[in-house]
Amino acid sequence: MDYFEPKTIREAVSLLARYGEKAKVIAGGTDVLVDMKFKEEPSCLVNIKRIPALSYIREDDGFLRVGTLTPIREIETSSLVRQKLPLLWEAAHQFASLQIRNTATIGGNVCRASPSGEMLAPLLVLEASAVARFSRGEKKLPFGELFLGPGQTLLGSKGLLTEIEIALPPERSGSVYLKHAVRGAMDIAMVGVAVLLTPDAGGKKAKDVRIGLGAVAPTPIRAKSAEKALRGKAMARAVVEEAARRAAADAKPITDHRASAEYRRWIVEALTRKGLAQAWKAATGKEVDR
Amino acid sequence: MSLNIRLVVNGRRHTAKINPATSLLDFLRDTLGYKGVKICCNTGECGACTILFNGKPVNSCVVLAADAAGAEIVTVEGLAEGDRLHPVQQAFIDTGAVQCGYCTPGFIISVKALLDRTKNPTAEEIEEAVSGNICRCTGYTKIVDAIQIAAERLQARS
Repeated sequence: MDYFEPKTIREAVSLLARYGEKAKVIAGGTDVLVDMKFKEEPSCLVNIKRIPALSYIREDDGFLRVGTLTPIREIETSSLVRQKLPLLWEAAHQFASLQIRNTATIGGNVCRASPSGEMLAPLLVLEASAVARFSRGEKKLPFGELFLGPGQTLLGSKGLLTEIEIALPPERSGSVYLKHAVRGAMDIAMVGVAVLLTPDAGGKKAKDVRIGLGAVAPTPIRAKSAEKALRGKAMARAVVEEAARRAAADAKPITDHRASAEYRRWIVEALTRKGLAQAWKAATGKEVDR
Repeated sequence: MSLNIRLVVNGRRHTAKINPATSLLDFLRDTLGYKGVKICCNTGECGACTILFNGKPVNSCVVLAADAAGAEIVTVEGLAEGDRLHPVQQAFIDTGAVQCGYCTPGFIISVKALLDRTKNPTAEEIEEAVSGNICRCTGYTKIVDAIQIAAERLQARS
């Protein structure tokens, strides 16, 4: 196995250009090392951990920027994230175990592109962008287009993710991330639901609603028809229940050892209903009307 | 291909030549002989191989040994001072928080990290601190007792 520790982004990108599909990028390593032990050792390993200044969380003119090497634990313990992006905090807090959160990076979780990746549905509803470097320059890839399938992203084998850019949601919005798993810690989500809801100025209607679903399709997805059913509507229980049913229909789950497709749809419906009620309460302080 | 690394384990300097695909767990156990770091699931799920990496608890089975170049590592072997056990170790013994003992070094490191960052942990913080460590024998109750006693003793000492 060839092994490299590039010291600059440029050096890393040129290694990826040279080795293409043969190269595997490693950051925290919590997924890559498991593959190396139990599946296959890559013919070239590019360890990007020694590139300086890729671990940061900073606010910048309406955006929060998170460096690709930022450990999940740094996100969880950042007061800036807690205050400005409670949704991202929640996802980080529910991520695996403390030991893994100390090691795993946000960039690794994104590039792994697992349908159940804990940070992905939240980043999808936040309409984040992946800032990536290619040999021809930088590209900004919106999360809505980034994921192509399990383990597949627009980065391909040549792009290096450098930063996650997140526009801060309106201050009066409310959000929640709900995960369904057998065990709280160290368990992969059977279903994850992220909700970001912005009420109108009167606090009666849903002005903007975004619902992200994890682990129920080949990529994390938005529940578009559920969102549409709520947009501009007064937040009444019947409307919420209809949206939750639509979210279950928007999901494209499979049956595997963790749960059946049918069960996953039920959970999507239940978590969407609950998530909408909680996000509405977080935004307005009110319960959903009967 | 091989790689030369330098690191500090339990306050002692080491220099070694490694295969870059080696995990920190295998390196600590097989090359340096720190057998207190236990190998169990080898996939980052059970916590038996927990060590402190620059003061933070991590699963050494899913960390590259290469990433430990320049780092300070603490394993369970580094806690006692001569014959005097660390208060966390003594509390595990006193409360019977050990049965087969295989998960114990990982638990003890997670608890040491907890008490390094919080002197007076809440029940919730205790649960979070060891939720990445799995014990198949004790049912956890005695372990939680041990953590509370260790916290009290450390507080009394300081």
